[in-house]
Amino acid sequence: MDLLGGVLTAATVGFFAAAGTGAAHRTAGYAVALAASVLLFVASVGALAFGGAHGIAWVGPLGETESLALDGLSAFFTLAASIVWIATSAYSIYYDDQSSSLLSVFYGLTLGAIALLIACTSWVYFLVGWETMTLASYGMILQARGPSGRVFDAAFVFLAFGEASTLFVLVAVAGLRFASGSFLEAAVSSGGILPSVVFACALVGFGLKMGVAPFHMSEWLPIAHSSAPSNASAVLSSTLTLAGVYGLFRVLSVLSGPPIWWGAVTLGIGAVSVLLGALFASVSEHTKGLPAYSTIENNGLVLVALGIALIARADGLTDLMVFALFAAFYQALAHALAKTAVFLAAGYVEHSAHTFDLNSIRGRVKGSDPAGFAGTVAAVLSLAAAPPLAGFVSEWMILEALFQSYRFTPQATQFIGLVAGAAVALAAGLILVAMVKFLGFTLLWKPAPGDTARPTRGLGVPIAFVGAVVLGIGVGAPWVLRFVAPSVGAFLGTPVAAPVGGLLSVPNGWSILSGSPFGILSPPVIPLALAAGGAVAFGYYALGRRAGSRRVPTWMAGSPEGRPGETYSSFGYSTGIRIMMDSVLWTREIRTRSGDVTTAGIASPAVYNVELEVLDVFKLFYDRLVRFGDAVAFGLKRAVMPGRLGQYLVYVLFATLFVVIYVAAA
Amino acid sequence: MTAAPWTVADRDPSPWETGPVAAYGARDGTLTLYNDYASGRAILWPGPAAGRASELVALWNRRGNAGRLRPVGPSEPVEGYGVFTFPYGPISMGVPESGRFDVRTYGERILEITPTAGFKDRGILAALVGRSVPDATLAIERVAGHLSAAHVSAFLAACESAEGRDVPTTELWVRALAQELQRIYNHVHVIARIAEAASQNVGLAQTHALAEEVLRLQAALFGHRWMFGGLVDGAALRKLGPRERDAAAATLRRLADQFEELWTLFLDSRTFVDRIQATCVVDRETALRWGAVGPTLRASGVPWDDRLRQAVPPYTDLYLELPKESDGDALSRVVVRAEEVRASFLLLEQLLSRWKGEIGGREPAAPPAAPGRGLARVEAPSGDLVYDVTVRDGTIRHVGMRTPSHANWPAFAVGLKGGVFTDFHFAYESFGFSFAETDG
Repeated sequence: MDLLGGVLTAATVGFFAAAGTGAAHRTAGYAVALAASVLLFVASVGALAFGGAHGIAWVGPLGETESLALDGLSAFFTLAASIVWIATSAYSIYYDDQSSSLLSVFYGLTLGAIALLIACTSWVYFLVGWETMTLASYGMILQARGPSGRVFDAAFVFLAFGEASTLFVLVAVAGLRFASGSFLEAAVSSGGILPSVVFACALVGFGLKMGVAPFHMSEWLPIAHSSAPSNASAVLSSTLTLAGVYGLFRVLSVLSGPPIWWGAVTLGIGAVSVLLGALFASVSEHTKGLPAYSTIENNGLVLVALGIALIARADGLTDLMVFALFAAFYQALAHALAKTAVFLAAGYVEHSAHTFDLNSIRGRVKGSDPAGFAGTVAAVLSLAAAPPLAGFVSEWMILEALFQSYRFTPQATQFIGLVAGAAVALAAGLILVAMVKFLGFTLLWKPAPGDTARPTRGLGVPIAFVGAVVLGIGVGAPWVLRFVAPSVGAFLGTPVAAPVGGLLSVPNGWSILSGSPFGILSPPVIPLALAAGGAVAFGYYALGRRAGSRRVPTWMAGSPEGRPGETYSSFGYSTGIRIMMDSVLWTREIRTRSGDVTTAGIASPAVYNVELEVLDVFKLFYDRLVRFGDAVAFGLKRAVMPGRLGQYLVYVLFATLFVVIYVAAA
Repeated sequence: MTAAPWTVADRDPSPWETGPVAAYGARDGTLTLYNDYASGRAILWPGPAAGRASELVALWNRRGNAGRLRPVGPSEPVEGYGVFTFPYGPISMGVPESGRFDVRTYGERILEITPTAGFKDRGILAALVGRSVPDATLAIERVAGHLSAAHVSAFLAACESAEGRDVPTTELWVRALAQELQRIYNHVHVIARIAEAASQNVGLAQTHALAEEVLRLQAALFGHRWMFGGLVDGAALRKLGPRERDAAAATLRRLADQFEELWTLFLDSRTFVDRIQATCVVDRETALRWGAVGPTLRASGVPWDDRLRQAVPPYTDLYLELPKESDGDALSRVVVRAEEVRASFLLLEQLLSRWKGEIGGREPAAPPAAPGRGLARVEAPSGDLVYDVTVRDGTIRHVGMRTPSHANWPAFAVGLKGGVFTDFHFAYESFGFSFAETDG
């Protein structure tokens, strides 16, 4: 055990300690989690900088030496997670004002479980962490405020998908054990069908947690339907799905020589998720549902990049493979951070407006906390892929990788790359609608007069922190890429160089190069250029005569301003998409007559209630599945437990006989 | 005295049992004029409107003091998640007049639209009380300048009926000439407005040029581009000789040819046709239920035209084709208008060719609806226009009117439901509305 390993061990233990402390004192629990997150951050940065951390080691039940340790791959994920958790833990101290301290307990448990599964070197503890994470998250969702039946249903959906995920992961791990003869996370070099089975199970199992299509219901429903607490939502949507990404990466890193169809399938699933996630995000009216759908989109992007990398690997395009892997890692990082800030902002909004409904916020949020406001803007714009933020860099890298799919040898993969590229580009447009809607209808809305509630500064600062990190890793992307090069190296098993360089008058190392030569992007130059332009504008303003400002009411086509009910609704903002994409969204208008009215002298036959609904067609499938399962279970119950004493006696008799014979024979 | 243009009912016609629709109901409920579309007859009932007709009459007669706003369409309140009111107007790019439209929507789709009038209410009708008929005529012309001929013709006919004065035949011919010219102008103008909304810029310029030529012809014949003062005694037209009439006929022939060419081009333009096809459909039932008139009614398959159904000279002696469409969409309304432009060119040709020298004789006025009270209707460009005038001792006592805009607002509001925002202008323009005449 080295120093960094000690820090890592302390951090992991610290999370579980936070759970224990949380049981006694809610806020103290979060404070301990915050301290543990900082330790984890130190360990991760150290591991990336100095080539690993080796924590506590022990001899497992099978005689193998297991340990808590960070290699490049796991250090990357603990780094991302620790930044997220620093923000969410600090935020929770101010946010969590529920009567029960259970949320704090489950929060600590979830964090500890995720830290454990990433940091351990054995698949057994990975599974332990995985299952603990699922159960603890289930507990967090149950702490949601709202109609208890709805919360319970939502949590149950989460648990059902979570257990299905564990099942598939279990099979994948069993496959790895069978192939390598060990539970350690070591490379497997076995041919035949086994690696493909492991891959398929891992893709489904981890995909269930990442919330990619067709399992995306596992992502949006628990968060949106239960209105889960914001700190829980941030942990669920950012780091729980990150754990899924880690699992998939880890499994792929131990499997060598992927056949080309792995990449094709991954790319296809990713592209569908990206499109569905963006589409549903743009028509979502829930301050948490919208970012949850965006998670589906972002994790889809990770899969797209990973798919390109896998195809390129099978196709022998090393440059493209490395670049796509960097894109995948960067996307995972950018998303985890930005999404955290957005969920925290949703809680911030809820704190002030007491609603999750974008339509009814309408200026009830005061922009009184500039730090939180700026952080939210940075995070939301990053998710909308606006330069020079982190999300822009990763989106650019993924699109650049997709552009190079013409280099694939098999025409089928070229075609998939083409279609995926179109889907990603379309989604980029749709997600812009979603993010503008989120920002516009929460924080940018003109505050309604008379509302004096102010969000506390404690909620704004963590958001600002994450926002600053999002901006920092966007602007400093070339250096961050070099810093995470060990992670990509650990994934591939060989050291790689980050795809950075220089061109024209941009200094060497300031630009990201997507091929040799293909595309080039210099994130640091963007703010420099913006600043230069800003300086010119400011100079013009400073040197010129000071202009007087004139405040006038908003022009409302000659009507008095702002009569109640005469402002555009958030729903209205995206109805165009609902109508245009009605074949995908299954849009339908439900018109019900809600009563007769008579206004003086005019024929007013009825008041109508009109709802324009969209439907996730996959939900329909799962609903049918549940109904089918219910019917089977009920039928089975009726068949084997009819409640007749005679049948039970016969059953007991035969069972006893069977056991006697079996024992006697043995 | 000519035959009465209506049958006086001896009992309440209960119009909604037999199918006719209310045409006009006096505010004080002393008389109601019905159209019986089944028999093609008008029915006068000396009593208040009944049944559903009373709703329409109440809607049309909603008139407060000057400047008071009032909705002019029916209202079916719509609520729902994300549903809000999109206020459009009273000052907006698309609608040249001052009027507001409150659109209930969940975004993009129009769930309900309520036109609100009253921004241009000048109180003209109330101001007429106590004035002489020639004096009042000058004010009536200004209710809506581009519809002056129809308003003045209807107003004068109502006054003549109230006072039992017979009219020189020439006067009736002059009124017909003015009305047909103005019909051409207004229909062409509607086509121009729709061309503008569809960004058909060449067509727009051509159409505006054509409309301008009609205005110039009006100025040449009546001494005023909007024919103000052109229909009162001693007006300019009386001094026109055969040569001037021939010149006018030649100009009209040229304009008719121009219009034919232009209209063919419009129908060839997919951009133009696509935007108005299936836009704001007013089917036959809706048109009858909500009392639509004029090209709106005829585009919905009901062939009623006051020029044929309640003809006065010279319409009694001229050939008039009655265009009819049955789809009820904006395209049908525009096609009906285009056909009517053709029909009006033909009418004017007949009119001018038969007009040899001074037309002699006098025509007796229609019988009064009640003592001292005249009721007259003409087919204005956008439909049936009714004036109800009470005159005593040469002084106006009361003026009531029901303009085609009044009658068509409900059909517009009902027809546009379910459309999208961008349908609005095409729908609005196809009806040829005037907020000015709605407000008075």
